[in-house]
Amino acid sequence: MIDPRFEATAGPSDGRAWSGPPPETTGRQIVVFAQGDDEPSINWEHAGISSVADSRDFSGGEVSPDALQDAQATVFAELGIAVVSADVGQMGALQAAVAESRPVLSVSPELVHHVLHHDVEGYAQAYRDGVNDLAGRLLHPEGSGTAQIAAPPGSALFADTPQATWGIQATKALSTPRSGRGIKVAVLDTGFDLGHPDFAGRNVTAQSFVQGEQAQDGHGHGTHCIGTSCGPRTPSTGPRYGVAYEADIFAGKVLSNSGSGSDAGILAGINWAVTNRCPVISMSLGANVQQAHPPYSAAGARALQRGSLIIAAAGNNADRRSGNFGFVGAPANSVEIMAVGALDMQLGMAYFSARSLPARGGQVDIAGPGWQVYSSWPMPTRYRTISGTSMATPHVAGLAALWAEATGRRGLELWATLCTESERLLQPSLDVGSGLALAPQ
Amino acid sequence: MVQLSVTVDDGHLTAIDDVAQALRAQGMQVDQVLDGLGIITGSAPADSRPALTGVEGVVSVDEQLTYQLPPPDSAVQ
Repeated sequence: MIDPRFEATAGPSDGRAWSGPPPETTGRQIVVFAQGDDEPSINWEHAGISSVADSRDFSGGEVSPDALQDAQATVFAELGIAVVSADVGQMGALQAAVAESRPVLSVSPELVHHVLHHDVEGYAQAYRDGVNDLAGRLLHPEGSGTAQIAAPPGSALFADTPQATWGIQATKALSTPRSGRGIKVAVLDTGFDLGHPDFAGRNVTAQSFVQGEQAQDGHGHGTHCIGTSCGPRTPSTGPRYGVAYEADIFAGKVLSNSGSGSDAGILAGINWAVTNRCPVISMSLGANVQQAHPPYSAAGARALQRGSLIIAAAGNNADRRSGNFGFVGAPANSVEIMAVGALDMQLGMAYFSARSLPARGGQVDIAGPGWQVYSSWPMPTRYRTISGTSMATPHVAGLAALWAEATGRRGLELWATLCTESERLLQPSLDVGSGLALAPQ
Repeated sequence: MVQLSVTVDDGHLTAIDDVAQALRAQGMQVDQVLDGLGIITGSAPADSRPALTGVEGVVSVDEQLTYQLPPPDSAVQ
C-alpha cells in the first residue's frame, strides 16, 4: 500500500502544467496503523526491527530528536503512526505480522518540508495566465457574458432534465448512496399538503403552531420546501426534485395559510423540533432586520448543543441587477444559525440573494440552488417552479440529512462537514460562504 | 400590549417555570414556556418591559418580529 501520489516519475495526467521538482524524501516510511478501542502492541521483532522508541516512554509524549534519529522505528502512540527505517522486505514482513491485530492503513515516504518562500517569478507567470484566461472569456464569450465567468473552469450549465431537476444534479444528490433514512428533518413553514400523492407511505409528523389553523398547507411554500428537502426518489410523474427521499418528515406549521407568522409560532416550532430530536431544522423565512434577534441566537445555540442544526434562508432582499446586495436578516443572521444563499443554473448569484452583513453572525455560510426550482405544491396543482433563498435552504437541509446519516455527526460538527464538503466557487464568500453544498458520494 | 420573547439565561434553564412566575408577577401574560430552548413568549404593556428585563434569570426581552411571505403565485418566494 505504498502511497501512489509519490511515484518517482508520475505527475498529473490531465494536461495541467505542474511546475517544481518531485518532493524530497528521507528514505524512511510513515506507517499509519488502524486505531481501535483495544490496541494490541505491534510486533516489530517480526520485521527484524529491534530498536523502537515509543512516545509513551517519554514524559509528556515528547520524543527527543536524538531518539527520532537513532531508533529504527519511532511510534507516536496517540496517533497510531510510526516512522520506520526499513527496507521493502522488512515492510512486507511488518504488514503481514500485524495484519490481524493492527492492520496497516497506509505507508508513505517521509517527506522533507521547507519554509515556503515567495516565488516571485512563478507568481507573476500565474497572474499573467489568469488575466489572459479572463480576457479570453470576456472577449469571446460562449455563454451569457458575466455569468460564464462566475462558473469555475470546466463546469457545465445545469438544466432540468426528465430525470431530475438541475438542483438535484448540481448538488450531486443524484449519485449519492445516501437517502436520509433514519434522519428526522423538520421544515418550519406554512405546513404540508398531507394528501400529496408523492408522499404516500412516508413517515410524516405534522403539527400546527398557528392559532386557529391546521397543519395542512393552505399557501404552498411549505409543501414546496418539504418537497425539495425530502421529496421522493421517483415521483408519481415528472423529474426527481427531492434530496433526502427517505428522511422522516416533521412538518411544523409556523406560518399561516396567508404566509404570516411571528416569533411565538416559530420558536414553538423550533422547540418542538429540538424536543423531538430532529438533527436538521429547515427555516425558509426571515425578517428584514439587520440586528440578530436574541431569542433566535439563544435558540440556535441551544439547538446545536442538543444536536439540532438550524438552517435558514439568507434573505431575498437584494436586487443585484441594480447594485443592491441586500443583507442577511433574522433569524439567519444569528451566529449559531446557518445562513443559505441562492445560486442560479450557472452557479452565479440569483439576483435577489442577500449578501453577508459585516456583523458577527451575519455571514452567508453556504449556498444552494435557488433559481427556478421545481418541487411539489398542494393538490391539485401538484408541482410548481419558484425561486428564492427559500428554495436554496431546503436543498442544504436535505443534504445535511444525508451527511448526518453518512457520518453520524450532529450540531456544529454537521455544520462543519457541510462546509468542508461544499464545492468552492469563484463567487465571493460574502455571497456563497463556503460554496455549493454537495451530497456525500 | 406588545408581543414579547423573553430569553432565559443558561443558569436558570432548569428553573424556567420560576422565571415565568416572576414575569407574571411583573405583569406579563405568559403564553408559552419553551423549555427546550429556554424562551418564554407572551405579551405585556409596553411600559412594563424594564421591569421584565430586571427579573432574575432574564437575559433579554425583545418585541416579537413578524414575518410575511409573498403570495403563493409570486415567482420569488
